[in-house]
Amino acid sequence: MESSSTAAGGGNMKGYFRQRKKTGGITKSNSNSKSKKSSSPDHSATLASDIAKPPSLISHASLDLQDDYDGNEEVLRQFDVNMAYGPCLGMSRLDRWDRANSLGLNPPKDVERLLRVGKLRSECLWDGRV
Amino acid sequence: MEVDSENNLQRKQSFYQSTDESFEIQKEMYRGQQYSQIYFARLHLMRTLLYSLLPHWKPHVPVCTVLGLEESKECIIVGTLYKHMKLKPSILDEYSKERSSTPLVKPHNFVHADDQLVLEDESGRVKLRGAMLISSVYVTGIVVALHAKETVGGDFMVEDVLEAGLPHQEELPRNSGEDKYVVFVSGLSVGSSSSDPLQFQLLVDHITGHLGDEKEQSVAAQIVQVVIAGNSVEVPRGLLNGQNLASKDQSRLSEPIKELDILLAQIAASVPVDIMPGPKDPANFSLPQQPLHRCLFPGSAAYNIFRSCTNPHSFELDDVRFLGTSGQNIDDLEKYSEANDKLEFLERTLRWRHLAPTAPNTLGCYPFTDKDPFFIEICPHVYFVGNQDKYETRLIKGSEGQLVRLICIPRFGETGVAVVLNTRNLECHALSFGTQFGT
Repeated sequence: MESSSTAAGGGNMKGYFRQRKKTGGITKSNSNSKSKKSSSPDHSATLASDIAKPPSLISHASLDLQDDYDGNEEVLRQFDVNMAYGPCLGMSRLDRWDRANSLGLNPPKDVERLLRVGKLRSECLWDGRV
Repeated sequence: MEVDSENNLQRKQSFYQSTDESFEIQKEMYRGQQYSQIYFARLHLMRTLLYSLLPHWKPHVPVCTVLGLEESKECIIVGTLYKHMKLKPSILDEYSKERSSTPLVKPHNFVHADDQLVLEDESGRVKLRGAMLISSVYVTGIVVALHAKETVGGDFMVEDVLEAGLPHQEELPRNSGEDKYVVFVSGLSVGSSSSDPLQFQLLVDHITGHLGDEKEQSVAAQIVQVVIAGNSVEVPRGLLNGQNLASKDQSRLSEPIKELDILLAQIAASVPVDIMPGPKDPANFSLPQQPLHRCLFPGSAAYNIFRSCTNPHSFELDDVRFLGTSGQNIDDLEKYSEANDKLEFLERTLRWRHLAPTAPNTLGCYPFTDKDPFFIEICPHVYFVGNQDKYETRLIKGSEGQLVRLICIPRFGETGVAVVLNTRNLECHALSFGTQFGT
């Protein structure tokens, strides 16, 4: 197993830290207040930047801000964690929306619109992480 | 034997329609989901139903969720019951420090006086107390509405329980007053050392009209359907211990099913037959069991009136609805609850509107995500369960005038008893074959 003593080391470490940044982006500790407001897509991606990405850990020149965590993804994540539509793990988001619709739960139409366009993640928030 | 062509008896016919689509899992794709999905679908389906029944039951009491409970305030909550059982075997018992609490001889029934009922919905759980709730009647997985009050200790003191009750039933059709019979048999156990091949051959001969005089044959000509409810073969257990099989043992494995196919082909040549898989048949383990494959029955599958069906199986014959299983659901209820007889378990599943409430807790089940196929939507006219100890039957009535014939089909390999039902008036009698000479 190759190891590197510096943060800006070889390929493996870079890939490892890149993954860490993504999970850092979804911690709710400082985004709670934001999630209650109506979505403000331009700001949500920059929220976690200070806590999860201290300058010492930036292994390449640009800040990895955009990922897949923008305003639309935030809307879909709120749909994922909403208890009223049932558990989200093990189903694709569109299947879960269809289930909620056929059970008469009136899930939000803009979630359906975002999912059918197809550019965003089709699997839920926790998929592949638990 | 002369064949007199003018006196050929014609067998009666019925219009058959299978309603097994919800039990087939060919279209399902497993995505790594857990059982929380099927529990959610079940809770939501039944909660919507129970909410619609609440205004007729207790219109003045407010409804809330588990998290919304307030102390000393009466309310109604709807949720899934969970029964915490002291004697229920758990994999963690192996690691527990007090080994003496679990007996070495496993009891068949795990009910104990200290069993505790808990009500759960998406927001939380609450412990249930009260004399109204007899824990030995209920099992994990039923959805009910409870009228109760939260006590100081955080428990819920139950005053009244509402079950979903029998679903709506279509009226029994008046079909010109003709007697048409359906024969139910289960537990044929072809290939087992205790089953008698002569008994099964007698049954086949009776159904196909090769037994008896003209009067007998005219009775047999009124049989329109045969239903075989599970456990039709019994593979010798000694062969299935994980060792590689010699070629002569391999042929021993397939002999029971070949023998069954020969006999079934005789029946299928003359009367429609439905065969359901059971716990010991070569089908998948978890419910809903998928139909036994056509290639197992090369002789019988040539007839299009031979149908291999799922377990549970539901069908309509001349607009009379039938629903039944090969016994796994009722046997599981027997392990985790108590009743006076098996028919009482059958009645309870109908009143709870769920074929197998203990699935997936203690009964293997496919992890559906968007539906619960065991939910009983329309009340059947005939509700049967196979592979039971003895023949029992009862007619039960529902609150809206529903009438259901409950049938426990005994194991044919042990008892030699089949059940015959008259679809005109839902009357039932036993057909017993003895092969002992003298007594």
